[in-house]
Amino acid sequence: MNAIEVSKLSKTYPGGVEAVKGIDFEVEAGEVFGLLGPNGAGKSTTVGMLTTTIEPTSGSARLAGHDVATAPLAARRASSVVFQEPVVDRSLTGRRNLEIHGRLWAVEPHEAAARIEELAATLGLGGLIDRPAGSYSGGERRRLEIARALVSRPRVLFLDEPTVGLDPRIRAELLEVIGSLRNRTEMTVLLTTHYLDEAERLCDRVAIIHSGRIVALGAPQALLAELGRELVELRIDGNVGTALASLRERGVAGEDAFAVGSRLTLPLHDRSSRDAIAAIHELGLTGAISAREPTLDDVYLRLTGDSLAAAA
Amino acid sequence: MSTAEIAIPTQRPAPVSVGPLATLARRRFQLTARTPRELVVPLLTPIMFALVIAPALKTALHTGTAYESYVAIGTVGLLIPLNTMFAGLGVIVDRVSGAQRELLTAPIPRGLLVLGNLVVALAITALQVGVLMAVAVARGIHFHASAGGIGWFVGAGLLFTVGMYGAAEILANRVPRQEEYIARVPAIAILPWFLAGALFPITALPIFLHWFAKFLPLTHGLALMRYGLRGDGSGLHAIWGMTNPTTMAALSLAVVGGFALLLTAASIRVFSRSAVQ
Repeated sequence: MNAIEVSKLSKTYPGGVEAVKGIDFEVEAGEVFGLLGPNGAGKSTTVGMLTTTIEPTSGSARLAGHDVATAPLAARRASSVVFQEPVVDRSLTGRRNLEIHGRLWAVEPHEAAARIEELAATLGLGGLIDRPAGSYSGGERRRLEIARALVSRPRVLFLDEPTVGLDPRIRAELLEVIGSLRNRTEMTVLLTTHYLDEAERLCDRVAIIHSGRIVALGAPQALLAELGRELVELRIDGNVGTALASLRERGVAGEDAFAVGSRLTLPLHDRSSRDAIAAIHELGLTGAISAREPTLDDVYLRLTGDSLAAAA
Repeated sequence: MSTAEIAIPTQRPAPVSVGPLATLARRRFQLTARTPRELVVPLLTPIMFALVIAPALKTALHTGTAYESYVAIGTVGLLIPLNTMFAGLGVIVDRVSGAQRELLTAPIPRGLLVLGNLVVALAITALQVGVLMAVAVARGIHFHASAGGIGWFVGAGLLFTVGMYGAAEILANRVPRQEEYIARVPAIAILPWFLAGALFPITALPIFLHWFAKFLPLTHGLALMRYGLRGDGSGLHAIWGMTNPTTMAALSLAVVGGFALLLTAASIRVFSRSAVQ
């Protein structure tokens, strides 16, 4: 059974802002699924609709088989959320924050107590758990929020931009923690991020979302494979459109080559970068040339004309 | 940190409402207990009235001890709105920098969040009213209360507190910031107090204000409390103009009860709607 089913889901906010425009996707039980896109793409709105804090304008969504609109309590019972912003009772201890979650999600007190001890040890909160949450650092708080979400053993875990605003060391630590969730049986994880490395590292599949629409969906490796094993990138001094046309005419660039500003990107499917660069030189095109492996940013760039990194 | 093992997620039974309500009320109480201003500040003004202003008024106006008990009960009419409005601040704190979003994703009816806050507002208000009355008695103020009279007093105080907390919850969910909330508190918590017969009978007001005062729930609440603790039905008579005090008390209790019911229902509706975008 799919853990998440989303069909033609849309959200238009008062004032006419269309944040999500009829998206469809399904997530299998046990899968780690990423919603990848820049700020304002509609990721958090999608998570909000799935967690019943935002009312869909149209379409439907089911969590663990429960329709979020007609059976919201059952849908919420099956899920937990780690929010993008701090969402803790700062004056209460970390343990109390976790206990409250356990009680509201109907976890037996003795089971919750054991679970809290286990999670505190696992997530490196052992020495902090009885301190007020307001005294935690950003990374500690985020680990506390992940622990809290796991107290109820959710069937679906939502992680909304879990590493945003954290320094690189804490972010790396946290990615390790989230990566370890992959080893946990049958828990489905929906992760939103605008960090490409997070999506590539953590997700079984990603949906790239742009202006409220899903523009690509698949396993990261499959999406990357569409751009070949390697690509050549060149910055053109002259007219980019003319250069691209010349490259296509000579068979150096395929239909999937794309231009953004003065930068041309040529996916290479069946020729080496050395050959491609030589052909470019033969055409007399001038500018900086480099070859590299494709990233999800290139996938996004080809589909939208914007760089994820720049848009985020 | 190390990699953890986790058991297979299981489908848990739906929680019964009493458990979550108790959890939410306990949480709110713990948060309140860590914010002493919510406990202490609303108490300062009424105690000042009981200890300083009422005796001073008696001396200046040459009134008797009966006026002190009149004013002591009148100060309950200030204490309840102030306390409930301060309790409403917690709703904004929860929304802006607390765990409200987490609670909104909990598998419980969202109205329980309002009711959990209400339970604590009621408990703290009861404590503060108890302190106020104890201070008044210790100051030598006399009440003539029977068991039935205490019932009228408690019923009126309880229902008025419920209604006022509903108003606070609605306001807290309507305004985005604490500053805006606080700016509205005098109009809601203090202005009616001057018109509702807290310090003098409403018959002393100009005729149009007298009529306006009859529609204030606080006027009914104070008249009921005085009827209960002083055996004084004059406040009820000023509202209803009848001769049977029990009938008038029942009518005023119905008014305050309707106020409580209406504001509580409205507050749950406003919270549930404003919590979901």
